[in-house]
Amino acid sequence: MNREGAADRLGQESGGDLVQEFMNHWVALSGDAWLALGGADDVRRALAEAISAMVPDRAPGARPRVVAWATDELAPLDLPGLLASLGCECVSWTDRPGGTGAARDPRAPAAAGSEDDAGSAGAVMSQRRNLCAASDMGITTCSWAVADTGTIALCATPSTGRLPSLLPTAHVALVRSSQIVRSVPDGLRLMADYRVQHGGLPSTVNLVSGPSRSADIEGDLAVGVHGPRRAGVIVGEW
Amino acid sequence: MPGVLPPAGASWPERRRRALADPTMRAAVALSARNLAEKKAAAYAAYPPGEAMRKPAVASRREALKHTDALLEELTRQVEARGGHVSRAGGPADVGRYVLAVARRRGAQRVVKSKSMATEEVALNEQLEAAGLHVRETDLGEYIIQLARERPAHILVPASHKTRQQIRALFDAEAEKSKVAPPTGDATPELTAFARRQLRAEFLAAEIGITGGNFLVAETGTLVLITNEGNGRMTTSLPPVHIAVVGIDKIVATWDDVAVLLQQAPMSGTGQLISTYTSFITGPRLPGELDGPEEFHLLLLDNGRHELLGTAYEDVLSCIRCGACLNVCPVFRTIGGQAYGSMYSGPIGVVLTPLLGGLDQAPELPKSACAMCYACRDACPMEIELPRHILALRRTEIEESMEPLTVRLTFELWGRFWANPSGFRLTARLARLGQRALMRNGRLTRAPGLVGGWTATRDSPPVAKETFHEWWQRTRTGSPT
Repeated sequence: MNREGAADRLGQESGGDLVQEFMNHWVALSGDAWLALGGADDVRRALAEAISAMVPDRAPGARPRVVAWATDELAPLDLPGLLASLGCECVSWTDRPGGTGAARDPRAPAAAGSEDDAGSAGAVMSQRRNLCAASDMGITTCSWAVADTGTIALCATPSTGRLPSLLPTAHVALVRSSQIVRSVPDGLRLMADYRVQHGGLPSTVNLVSGPSRSADIEGDLAVGVHGPRRAGVIVGEW
Repeated sequence: MPGVLPPAGASWPERRRRALADPTMRAAVALSARNLAEKKAAAYAAYPPGEAMRKPAVASRREALKHTDALLEELTRQVEARGGHVSRAGGPADVGRYVLAVARRRGAQRVVKSKSMATEEVALNEQLEAAGLHVRETDLGEYIIQLARERPAHILVPASHKTRQQIRALFDAEAEKSKVAPPTGDATPELTAFARRQLRAEFLAAEIGITGGNFLVAETGTLVLITNEGNGRMTTSLPPVHIAVVGIDKIVATWDDVAVLLQQAPMSGTGQLISTYTSFITGPRLPGELDGPEEFHLLLLDNGRHELLGTAYEDVLSCIRCGACLNVCPVFRTIGGQAYGSMYSGPIGVVLTPLLGGLDQAPELPKSACAMCYACRDACPMEIELPRHILALRRTEIEESMEPLTVRLTFELWGRFWANPSGFRLTARLARLGQRALMRNGRLTRAPGLVGGWTATRDSPPVAKETFHEWWQRTRTGSPT
């Protein structure tokens, strides 16, 4: 959606530099970064590496749980197949928790109307929340990324929720190299395109620059206070 | 309408005395202030676009203050169009009433908060707790301060005066109270892990999330929230209700304005090019979304701000709460934030506290908590004329005769004597005569009246046996005097 805009405006002007600077800044912020410019298989390889590096060891027999955005952008990567081969449990953001795993139509309106509907929608939401909180990794894409600061932009939509990048212990974002722009203002200008294309802004846009951090204890840097302890990016083309 | 700030607690001499008697706190505050000031300088040096964006950022803030009312109306329209609720809060009681009404309607008991100066300003926690709600601060530093039942020592790093041993003791007590395992040690990861576990449970159980806001964008009705820890994202993503309490001064017109402003706060505050998390929140979750709050409330807080629009103090409202002026201030570095008796400490606190809460409530801040060194003027990314405002507040204080008569007469007399050379020389001769009885080992160790305040905590060199003027007169006869 914004990706083409980014490429048209700035992406080609110094693509390689932007990729390298983005990754350098992300790593400087204590994030993890992988480069995978060799197509979908290369991205899958990088993702497997990211999972083995960022997902903490589980008790023997316990399968790592990964929750992924339900965006079409991820479809060519066949995440369910990849994660199964890695011994991980794969949950899609729009799966109904505890249900059959059937994908819910992201464009269907939220349950509303009668008290009962609202109540059961609330219960489903709370299950989904607990599922994310008990996940080892969240996998997302991004809307755009910034080379100058090592920043990714995550837009909240029905298929791309807030929680997969927030509650799991680790978060990895798949960034297309053409999505990287030079500066934060360059990125924010893309949101004007989004407004036009979608008839309004998303309810939330989160800019994320590395893992959760704090210096509140004697000025000593602590990573992973609330959000993910590990934050990774895979810059690829697929 | 004038604003109301929470009372300072102890008197200024008492607060100052307590601060000066706490060497651990003073060392910690001085160190963190120095570090942050150095990091700020390094950030602007390493990233030239930061300085290039700063000028238009200042201009956009100043411009917004000229049209605050119109921009607030536009903001309100936009937020409401997205299904959010907007309400104006004149002062502390309005905020408390509004939040409690929402809590009652929802049957909510548990509130999580992301660090917010505006809610400190209206003592919201106290109001909610008095009504029986459970309120939890979730910024790590604020959590520590809440457990210690103290006031923040710094706008950005509220617990910078606490040592890890003190923090561990607070966490141990909290663990015992909530019957959970205490931290395994006082290393940063151990203390952080304890807070993460405790606060994660609070986030998941909370029914209302309360935040402040760094900017409000009128054209789209968007709240901009900056945090490093992710507690802002938690607070705005998990509870079904999000209430943002934001000063009316945070308004800007467009996304282009925010684009140049966004990095100024982290660059000036901590030397980060950008904060870890910046959230742009436009209304509650949209239909079909599977997370996010179902209700979004924006409380626009006045509390004395609107009165400042159009006055000589207007630029104070362009403050982005970065803390840069605190970090360079010799007074702040010496006494720390708590001695100011206000949630706003340092030079901006010296100006903002009396401007919002009334000069009669905090006359000591402009009068005594500034050395007129102008370091804050150079440090402020928004180019706020802090020293000029402090001087103006001092003048108002004199004009409104808030000082005791004896003090006013002493300064009046002193001023007259020193207004011409002969008067100045006369006082030197008088002091030389008078000081003999007060000297010890060649130093002036105590002095009468007002000057006694100076010598109470430090010795003063005595007036010289022969002043420069006297020497000049004696050795250069015929010189023009």
